Amino acid sequence: MSAPQPVIVTDEPATGSGSGGPRAESPAPAALPARAKRRGRRVPLLLIVPTLALLVVALGYPVCWQLATSFKHFGMLQQFGQPPEWVGLDNYKAIVTDPDLWAVVARSIAFCLVSALTTVAIGGGLALLMQAVGRVTRIILQLALLLAWAMPVVASMTVWVWLVDWRRGLLNWLLVRLGVDAEGHNWLAEPLSFFVVAAVIVVWMSVPFVALSIYAGLTQVSTEVLEAAQIDGAGGWQRLRYIIVPLIAPVLSIVLLLQLIWDLRVFTQIKILQDAGGVANETDLLGTFVYRLGTGAGDFGTASAVSVFMLALTVALSWYYVRSIMKEES
Amino acid sequence: MKKTLGLAVATTTALLLTACGGGGTTASPGASPSKADNSKRTITLWLAGSDTPQELRTYLQDTFKTKTGATLKIEEQAWPDLVTKLTTALPDPKNTPDVVELGNTQSPTFTNVGAFSDISDMYDELGGSKLLPSFVDAGSVDGKKYALPYYFGSRYMFARADLWKEAGVATPKTLDEFNTAVKTITAKNPRNIKNFSGFFIGGQDWRNGISWIFANGGDLAKKENGQWVSTLSDPNTVKGLQQLQDLYRNASKAPADAKDVTPWLYVNDSDEILDDKQQVTGKTSLAAATIMAPGWAHWSIGDLKTKDGKKVREWNPAKFTAFVLPGNDGKPAPVFAGGSNIAISKASQNQDLARELMKIIFSGDYQQKLGGAGLGPANSDYVSSLGSDEFAKALIASASNSKLTPAAPGWAAVESAQVMEEFFGKIRDAADLTALAKAYDAKITPMLNMK
Amino acid sequence: MRAKTVRTGLLTALAIVLALAWAFPVYWMVNSSLLPNVALQSTTPTFLPFGGSFDNFRAVISDPGFLSAIGISLAVTLTTVAAALFIAFLGALAISRFRFRGRRSFILALLLIQMLPAEGLFIAQYKMMSSLGLLNNVIGLAILYTAAVVPFTVWMLRGFVAGVPVELEEAAMVDGLSRTQAFLRITFPLLAPGLVASGVYAFLQAWNEFTVALVVMTEQQARTLPLWLRGFVQASATRETDWGQVMAASTLVAVPVIIFFLVVQGRMSSGLVGGAVKG
Repeated sequence: MSAPQPVIVTDEPATGSGSGGPRAESPAPAALPARAKRRGRRVPLLLIVPTLALLVVALGYPVCWQLATSFKHFGMLQQFGQPPEWVGLDNYKAIVTDPDLWAVVARSIAFCLVSALTTVAIGGGLALLMQAVGRVTRIILQLALLLAWAMPVVASMTVWVWLVDWRRGLLNWLLVRLGVDAEGHNWLAEPLSFFVVAAVIVVWMSVPFVALSIYAGLTQVSTEVLEAAQIDGAGGWQRLRYIIVPLIAPVLSIVLLLQLIWDLRVFTQIKILQDAGGVANETDLLGTFVYRLGTGAGDFGTASAVSVFMLALTVALSWYYVRSIMKEES
Repeated sequence: MKKTLGLAVATTTALLLTACGGGGTTASPGASPSKADNSKRTITLWLAGSDTPQELRTYLQDTFKTKTGATLKIEEQAWPDLVTKLTTALPDPKNTPDVVELGNTQSPTFTNVGAFSDISDMYDELGGSKLLPSFVDAGSVDGKKYALPYYFGSRYMFARADLWKEAGVATPKTLDEFNTAVKTITAKNPRNIKNFSGFFIGGQDWRNGISWIFANGGDLAKKENGQWVSTLSDPNTVKGLQQLQDLYRNASKAPADAKDVTPWLYVNDSDEILDDKQQVTGKTSLAAATIMAPGWAHWSIGDLKTKDGKKVREWNPAKFTAFVLPGNDGKPAPVFAGGSNIAISKASQNQDLARELMKIIFSGDYQQKLGGAGLGPANSDYVSSLGSDEFAKALIASASNSKLTPAAPGWAAVESAQVMEEFFGKIRDAADLTALAKAYDAKITPMLNMK
Repeated sequence: MRAKTVRTGLLTALAIVLALAWAFPVYWMVNSSLLPNVALQSTTPTFLPFGGSFDNFRAVISDPGFLSAIGISLAVTLTTVAAALFIAFLGALAISRFRFRGRRSFILALLLIQMLPAEGLFIAQYKMMSSLGLLNNVIGLAILYTAAVVPFTVWMLRGFVAGVPVELEEAAMVDGLSRTQAFLRITFPLLAPGLVASGVYAFLQAWNEFTVALVVMTEQQARTLPLWLRGFVQASATRETDWGQVMAASTLVAVPVIIFFLVVQGRMSSGLVGGAVKG
C-alpha cells in the first residue's frame, strides 16, 4: 500500500453508471474493479432502516399534523377542544396576501445570504488556519470556538445586548475613547445597524460549527498529495481550488446548505434584539414574522401554513443547489 | 440508565393500562371526600416565577395536607415560557396541573377559550366584591368567574427629591402639574447633566405611557355589540397621547425606541467603579429626576452601600421619594397594574381538591401572608398587611384605581406582535396624532377578537 | 526557510487573535458571573472581576434543581450522541458503500428533512409524546433529539466511510483478522475525526436545546439544564433579574461541553493519511 493515490472522498463508481442494483464502490478511482453483489441486495436497506424508522417515529406524526392543521382553522379555542374546521387554502391566502410578507421575505433572503456566506467563508478560513498552525495553537483556537459554541444562548445574547447597549455598552465606551462621538448612540434603532449587529452575532454563533466540521473534513486530505502538487508547481490557490475543495465538497456542501436553512429562519437572536430595542415591524425576518402571525397570536392553523410556506420557500431557494449536490450522487 | 429504562417501562405500562381502562375516573365534585380517601391523592399547583416565597409554599402544602389529607405538589414555571406550557398542558387531562397561576394580562385568552372551571359559585366565599375588580374582570366571561386575582403590584413614580428641590418644583397634585413640573426640571437641568430628563420614559414604553390615556378617560379598546374595537383615536385617548407627546419631546431624553426595563438606573447616582487601588474610576450615571416603575423597583434605587460585604442599594429618604401619579381630579391616576390570577384547570381530574386549595389561598390567613411578603393581597380587607411605609402607601393608593389591558381574547396577539411598542415609538415625532391613532386602530381591531 | 518561519509565526498570531475574538463574549460571561449586579449596571465597564466573588456560583450550585438537571441533561445528551452516531454510521455505510434502489431518494430525504421548519410543531410534539406516555422521559426526549441530528450525522460520516479504502480492510483480513476486528482496528480509527465532529455537534444540539425540552419535560424533576437555567431569567415578576447569577449558571452549563471536547479532541486531528495509508 504505497499508492500515492489520494484517498478521495467520492461516491463515484468505478464503472460507468449502468444498470441499477447494489454495487460496492471503489474509493480509489480505477484502482479496483467493482465488487458487485459483495454483500447482497438487502444489506444497504437494512442499514438505512434504523435511520428511516427513527425519522418516521419522531417526525412522522408532527409533520402530518402540521400539514393537516395548515388547512384548518386551528386557534386556541380548537387547542382547548372545539372541533377544528377545514378551511382549505384560507390560511395560505391570508399569508400571501399579507402586505408585509414579501418585504420580510426579501429582507430574510438578503440577511440569510450575507450571514451564511460570511459564516462559511470565515469558518473555512479558520479550518485552513487550524491546519496550518501548530498543535497547541490549534487546540487554543478550537477551544475558543467551542467555548463560543457551548455558551448558552441566553447568556450569549445577554452579553451581546450589553455590548451594544446605547448607554452602558462596551462598544460605545470604546468608540468614545477612540475619539468617536458615539456616546448614547443607539445601534438597534436603525434597521440597517440593527441587522449588522444581528449578522455579527449570528456569524459569531455559527462559525464554530462550520469551522470544526470543515476542519474534520480537511483531515481527510492527504498531505502527500498536497506536497506532490506543490512540487508540480501548483500554487496555494490552485491547491485549494483543485485539490482541497473537491475533497471536502460533501462536508462543505452540507454545511453551507444548513447555514442557508438556519439563517433564513433565524429567530431567537432577532427576537431578543427586538426586545432590547429597535422597531419590530421594521426589523422582522421570517422567523419573528411567522412567530407573531402564528404561535404568538395562538393561531396554529396560520402558523402551520407558514411552516409549509417556509418549507416551500427553502426548497425553492436551494433547489438549484440541492440538485447540484444530487448530481454528484449519480 | 437503569432508572430511565425503568421509567420507560413504567410509562409504557401506564399508557397501556390507561388505554385499556377507557375513560378517566373523574372524582365527583362537590361532595367533600373524607381525609382517609385522599391520602393517596396528589394535586399539582403551578406557580409562576419565584415570587411566592418558600414559606408561603410550605404553608400551602401543610395546610392542604391537614385539611384534605391529600398531597399538594407545587411546580414553579418560568414566566417567559408560561403561555407555551399552559397551551400544551392545560387541555391534556392526563397531565394538566390542577390549579395554575398566570399573569393577569394572560388571563383573558385562557379564560375565553374555556381552559378553566367556572367557580362563580365560590366567588362570594372566596372574597366576592372585595377582590380586586380589574383582575376579576380579566378572568370573567359574561359574568361568570373563572380566574381570580392572586396578588397585585402597581406602578408609581420614583423621584429625586433633591433634584426636584434644586429645580424649585413642588410635588404635583394633579396630572397637569406633574407634566409641567417635569418639563420645568428638564429645562432647568439643575446639575447641568448631558441629556438630562426631568422624567425618563422610553418611546416604546407603552405600559407606563398608557397611564396618561387612562387618566384622561381614554382606553385602549372597548366591547361594542359583542365585538372588541380599538379606541386609540377616541378623543379622550388622543388627549392623553398629546400630553405624552409633549413629555416625549420636552421632558424625556430617552430614545424613541427605548423600552428599557431597568429605568431605575437613571435616577441612581454613580455606580462606583473601583480599580484595583480602590480608586473610583466611574462617572456619574444620574440621568433623570423622575421615573415610573413597578413598586418593587425600590429595591434597586438608593445609595450604594456595602452590606455584609455585598454592594447593595439602600433607599435614602433625603434623596429619593415615591409618589403616585395624580389624576386630573387630584386622586391617583389609573395606572397599569401588574400581578397574577389563579384558576382551576377545567381538565383537572381533581376538581374537589382544587377547590379546597382555592379556599386556602383566599383565606384571611394566606392573604395576610401575601401582604407580609410584599405582594398586594387580592382581597382588599387585607391590604393593611402590606405595612405602612411610603411604598406600601403608594402601592395601595395606585392599585385602588388600577386598570388592566383590555380583556379581549386577541390581546395576546397584539402584545406578541409588539404593535403597541410600534405605535408608542411613533408618538414623539408624529405630526398628526389622530391620523396615527386611526391607522393603528385599523391595525389592532381585527386582532382583538377571537378568530 | 526563514520565510516559512515568519509565515507560521504570523498565522499563529492570527489564530490567537481570532481565538481571543471568539472567546471574548465568553470571557465577558465569566467576568460578569463574578460581579455583583450593581457593577453590571454601571455605565463604565468592569473589565476584570476585582472585588468580585464566587457568591453567584455558590447561590447557583446550592439550587436544589441543579444536580438533577445535570443528571437528566447528561443522560439525554449521551444517549443522543451514542444513538445518533450508531444509527448514522449504518446509514452512512449504506450510502457510501452501496448502490441501491432508493439511495438517491434517501439522500434527498436527508437534505429535505433539514429544511422542515419547527414553527408551531410543539403542539403536535406534545400530543405525540403525551399519547405515547413519553412525557418527562429521558428516552422520549433523546428520540426526538436523535432524529434531529441524524441527517447531518449521516452526511458527515459518509465522507469518512467512503474515504476508508475497502482494500485496507480486506488486506487486514488477509492478515488473519476477522471482519469485526478489521473494522475496529482499521476502519474505526480512520473515522474518528468524523465521529468526533458529528459527536460534538450532536452533543451541543442536545445539551443546549430548549423548546422541545420545555414542552415535553413538564415536571420539575425532569428538567434539563437549559430549562433550569431559564429559571434564573426573569425568575420573578417582582424582583430584578440577577444577571450575575444567570451568567454563573450559564458558565456551569458550558463546563461539561468543554470537558467532553477535551476528552475527544485528540481524535479530531488524527487524520486519515496521518498513518494508516502510508503503510
